[in-house]
Amino acid sequence: MAGPRSELGSSAAFDAQGALWSVAKQGEHVIIRRSADLGRTWSAPRFVNAAVEPIGADGDARPKLAFGTAGEVYVTWTQPLTKPYTGLIRFARSVDGGKTFSAPVTVHADRQEITHRFDALAVNSKGQIFVAWVDKRDGEIAKEKREAYAGAAVYFTVSDDKGATFKGDFKLADHTCECCRIALLPTDDGSVVTLWRHVFAPNVRDHALARIHADGSVDGFRRATFDNWAVDACPHHGPSLAADAKGQLHAVWFDLGPEHPGAVYGRLRDGGIDGMRKVGGEGAEHPDLAIIGDRVAVVWKEFDGQKSQLRAMLSADDGTTWREMTIGSTAGASDQPRVLAHKGRFYVFWNTRQQPFSVTPLS
Amino acid sequence: MIRILLSIASFALGLLLLASTASAAGPVFRDFDAKSFAALQARLQGRPFVLAFWSIHCDPCRDELAQWGPLQRRYPDIPIVLVATDPRSERPVLTKLLSRYDLRGVQSWAYADDFEERVRFAVDRSWRGELPRTYLYDGEHHAEGRSGPAEAGWIEPWLARQSGGKKRASLN
Repeated sequence: MAGPRSELGSSAAFDAQGALWSVAKQGEHVIIRRSADLGRTWSAPRFVNAAVEPIGADGDARPKLAFGTAGEVYVTWTQPLTKPYTGLIRFARSVDGGKTFSAPVTVHADRQEITHRFDALAVNSKGQIFVAWVDKRDGEIAKEKREAYAGAAVYFTVSDDKGATFKGDFKLADHTCECCRIALLPTDDGSVVTLWRHVFAPNVRDHALARIHADGSVDGFRRATFDNWAVDACPHHGPSLAADAKGQLHAVWFDLGPEHPGAVYGRLRDGGIDGMRKVGGEGAEHPDLAIIGDRVAVVWKEFDGQKSQLRAMLSADDGTTWREMTIGSTAGASDQPRVLAHKGRFYVFWNTRQQPFSVTPLS
Repeated sequence: MIRILLSIASFALGLLLLASTASAAGPVFRDFDAKSFAALQARLQGRPFVLAFWSIHCDPCRDELAQWGPLQRRYPDIPIVLVATDPRSERPVLTKLLSRYDLRGVQSWAYADDFEERVRFAVDRSWRGELPRTYLYDGEHHAEGRSGPAEAGWIEPWLARQSGGKKRASLN
């Protein structure tokens, strides 16, 4: 009988030279692999953290990776602590092309044994590193004062020196969902657009969006989705975000609001959604999206009673018309699929027990 | 031969001791996999029951743990079945957490299959894994399912209806 929950949570990204890298959990290590042939073969795994520590890699938690402007490799993960839902956001970097990694550091100044989880990582065009996470310090303060505090908060930190030091902790927003991944999208001006599941009073778990800057400032906070999903529950189902050639924001997310429960796609206009569309069928889960110019790719998984189907929908006209396809399946535990854009093509990365680190081109 | 028998006996005794220690410290979890729900339904044929999924990694789930014990003792004819969706490796934490509550009479299960889509599908194909998730099954096993905290205002009138007034005087 299978033992632990699938701890297949993993991430993949292309570097500037076109090599594909993946990070995943192996025991108490984050492992990194490189593929020079679009995921057909992978290098032997290297440990990112030499000394063992607990690694979060289930549900919406997974190690992340991103590249610096001179090929530095940056990796973050959540180190769960002993008390339920507590953790530390960890960071390590390689400045020698992934051969060796620095000893991991905790990126936040706050060191209480409380929630710091669901790390998100992005590097802007200037090479500044942004790490955002779900943080419960404000909820703890409220608890001491015997005041109510809905949800958690999102905090972030920034490194101007390629990960040698981090400055923060900056608060992005109060009252966010406690258990969903955060989407980060670097923009041309160096700011990072952030999309997360929020808790709008009293308990509506729709998404909010804001822009975070390297100086720690936050602007442009607005409600991004309008499903009115009123629930005190942990969806473990965060959004994904991408921009088209015109700078228009496209997203996929999950909600169980009254009108279109399930996975959905839409373009995030101020005050509303354009081109909203249900993603997949009743069992569609964990959508992700990527954009090349005005071509949009959405992937998700959908269990059919026997297998988890890997499904995709593609639009060649900026999300106006779509065609759907099945691109794979697995009869065992699987991670959430990810779609990546590289040199004009889309690739789907899916870590499954049966086929670890599989990569499928979309056409 | 005697030595083998003796070692089997002492092994069995060891198991027994382990089991009793576990029950003294908290619940012993039954394994919940893709076949468990059908088995549960078969065993409870013709009887209403409550099935409540939770996780140690879910804040709102904790808030409702305290209510199950008293409800079970007030309505002893309607089984209340808790299922933790946490992996086997978390069972010590699960045990520790549940031992804080008086859950006498409540059944505790925990996931034993990491192909969790398969486990969920066997219960409810439209459930996407959000927690807490609670189902009320009537005698015909028609379900009423809800995500979010299982509020007493929803559960208790249902229990009262299903038990046909066989409520036991409140114990606490």
